[in-house]
Amino acid sequence: MTTTQHMPVSALQPQIECIIRSLGSDDKTVQRLAQMGILPGTHLHIIRIAPLGDTIEVTGDQGQSFALRQQEIAAMTCEPVAMPLDSELVKVGQTYRIRALVGGKTFRQRMERSGIKEKKLLQIKKTGNKPVLVRQVDLNKQVELGRGEAKKIIIERISNEQN
Amino acid sequence: MNKTEASVTIALAAIPNSGKTTLFNRLTGSGQATGNWPGVSIEQKSGSFVLGEHSINLIDLPGAYALSPVTEEERVVRNYFLQSPPDIILNILDARNLYRGLGLTLQMALSGLPMVVAVNMIDEARRQGISFDLKVLSQHLGVPVIELSARTGEGIPDLKQNLYKVIKYPEKTRNPHISCPPLLEKAFSEITEAINQSGIDTRLDHTFLAMRQLEEDDPEQRANDDKVAVVTRQWYRRLKQSLRTSIPVACASCRFNAARGLAMEVLHDQPAFEDQLTKQLDRIFLHRFFGLPIFFLLMFLFFQGVYGLGGPLQELLSSGFDRAGTWLASQAMTLSWPIWLQSFFFDGLWQGISVVISFFPIIALFFLFMSLIEDSGYMARAAFLMDRLMHWLGLDGKAFITLLLGYGCNVPAVMGTRILTSSYSRILTMLLIPFTLCTARLQIFVFLTALFFSPVIAPLIILSLYVCSFGAVILTGLLLKFFQIGGTPEPFIMEIPPYRLPTLRSISLRTWYELKDFFSRAATLIVAGVLIVWLLIHMPADVPPGSAATWAGQLGHMLTPVFHPLGIGWQETVALIFGFIAKEIVVGGLAVIYSGSDVAGQMISHITPLQSISFMLFCLLYTPCIATIATIWSESRSIKITLLSLVSGLGIAWITSFVFYQSGLLFGFH
Repeated sequence: MTTTQHMPVSALQPQIECIIRSLGSDDKTVQRLAQMGILPGTHLHIIRIAPLGDTIEVTGDQGQSFALRQQEIAAMTCEPVAMPLDSELVKVGQTYRIRALVGGKTFRQRMERSGIKEKKLLQIKKTGNKPVLVRQVDLNKQVELGRGEAKKIIIERISNEQN
Repeated sequence: MNKTEASVTIALAAIPNSGKTTLFNRLTGSGQATGNWPGVSIEQKSGSFVLGEHSINLIDLPGAYALSPVTEEERVVRNYFLQSPPDIILNILDARNLYRGLGLTLQMALSGLPMVVAVNMIDEARRQGISFDLKVLSQHLGVPVIELSARTGEGIPDLKQNLYKVIKYPEKTRNPHISCPPLLEKAFSEITEAINQSGIDTRLDHTFLAMRQLEEDDPEQRANDDKVAVVTRQWYRRLKQSLRTSIPVACASCRFNAARGLAMEVLHDQPAFEDQLTKQLDRIFLHRFFGLPIFFLLMFLFFQGVYGLGGPLQELLSSGFDRAGTWLASQAMTLSWPIWLQSFFFDGLWQGISVVISFFPIIALFFLFMSLIEDSGYMARAAFLMDRLMHWLGLDGKAFITLLLGYGCNVPAVMGTRILTSSYSRILTMLLIPFTLCTARLQIFVFLTALFFSPVIAPLIILSLYVCSFGAVILTGLLLKFFQIGGTPEPFIMEIPPYRLPTLRSISLRTWYELKDFFSRAATLIVAGVLIVWLLIHMPADVPPGSAATWAGQLGHMLTPVFHPLGIGWQETVALIFGFIAKEIVVGGLAVIYSGSDVAGQMISHITPLQSISFMLFCLLYTPCIATIATIWSESRSIKITLLSLVSGLGIAWITSFVFYQSGLLFGFH
């Protein structure tokens, strides 16, 4: 069994994907989610957060799109599988695979020059509010990324490496 | 079953956002009737149409995700299925996303009742490039599956043909199999066995009943049979210990596992589809910075469209009506009537009908724009944008729109609460709308502030009245939330449907039904209310109308102890009674009461500025008008809610005016 973790409210941001392990404790909410086909095992994808905050749009893996509030997501146990590189869920020392680069063409080209493109592995050296320091595993090369750049790099956990 | 002579009942059951209403309208056309489900303020719609030699009674069930209820609406659906199973179920799936609805479809297919599944919005699915094998679906479910588009009418003849076939040969072939964890399966079979032995007479499948027994949390729905009850209770306890989730969630898991597999098979293992158009539009409409400005711009257009266009139409209609009345009154036939009859007919009845008719343009425009916003899919976006603000008041985002429209006119706003998904928010919003400052009240304020204050101060006073109205809405909202007047809030999990182009047909149909509904449900009450006020003002017959000697005048004097502390004299009290008809006529009422040449001068000499503000505050907060009350009654179908609205309006108005006037006096104003 994997150790699962609650998704802290502060970590909620677009581009995060997580697998639901438990639906929470409020009976009515849990039952409603279950009846909408949102069940343990479902992949949730955070699409956006409302301009005023609190309300979050997510999609399920069967393409259903719906909105719920922070408290509902916080009550779930949802194991993060993919997140932007600037997320607080990113752990120092761990290695992740790059899933996607969500920026424009020039951004992609710039990143590619440092060997940062889809499917490549990155080991996290340093996180926090300052630039993110990563090691491109194949090239064994350290790269320093600004917050803005890190936000556009979506990384995923490597499945055989459970913490 | 011999159903050739009697009418056949078909229940339309589907999850929300699957085009249920459109299909209902498509099938029944104009043959519709509305009522209420017993004991709850949820509308029951039924319609009729003819299929060959059968007359069909189609019942539009509220949207439900499953038969284990979370919401009031779902409780209605559950009770309906268990207590009076329909002859045939007509279930709808959304072609754009089969998985969403299959959970309910599988549950219904297990019921053992004959069923037809309509895969709706096939045109939209095609646009997205989805292709399916519906034969597979039909084989798995053991029922006919028809692809159609309720919006365009495609596939409707096919659906009717299949319904006809099912009426002719109602025997259902077999139930789909859904595999569950072994322990659950065992529980189902043992309870089924107990039900078999109980010799119960039902058209529902016994395994289906067993599942219902186990999932049911409401003791009233449990079996009467002792043996069944004992076995169920034993299994309930055992499952509660060994399952890691609650029983309804475990059952939903089984259904959706089957649904996932089934959807994959039907869709030839294509991955879940993304609607690119919706994705692009949402980038604009839900944009972090532009989303809200666009929303407010759209709301402004909505507001202007309804009231900017509807206001002049309303005036045109009512002035036309007045002129027709004046013309009619000058005819020899009516002149020969006794005076009291003339007055009753023209000042009472005619005026009442005029009030009803004058609402038509704004209600029509309101629902025209409302269905545009709803059918296009923007409503869910609006709710998403405003959710945080409204959540604070215990409401969801959609309530914002109805409240906002209350600032034009309360009547369509109250009717608009129908778009709200939970009865909790519906009741709460309905009670808040009367505190919004509608344009009719604005007329009083413009007149009185111009009379009592300088042109510099007058707009400030009107602005403060708006602020006061916002305050009243927020405070009452918090109070209602605190006392849980509308029951317990329902969990907020709102589906965000893909955008679609609304059709003229569905929008005009909806507008037509709403107008018809308003006329048939609220009209009599409005006319009756106007007549009562007429009686108060005109009786006894030998005194001048509205004078101190009339019943209204006597009432005004009687109420002096109540209104004196607010600085409101008997004349204004009578005007407030006038105001029950419609706020527009308060000013006219004042003119009647202070009859004489210089009404304005008389009023200035009678009323102090402080008193005038107190009067305006009272006007702002007390019952908006008979039409609003009648609409609240016809929407809520609850005497309790209607009375609560009346009493809370009067109570809050009195307290506010009292506090304002008395503290004004304390501070040395007069």
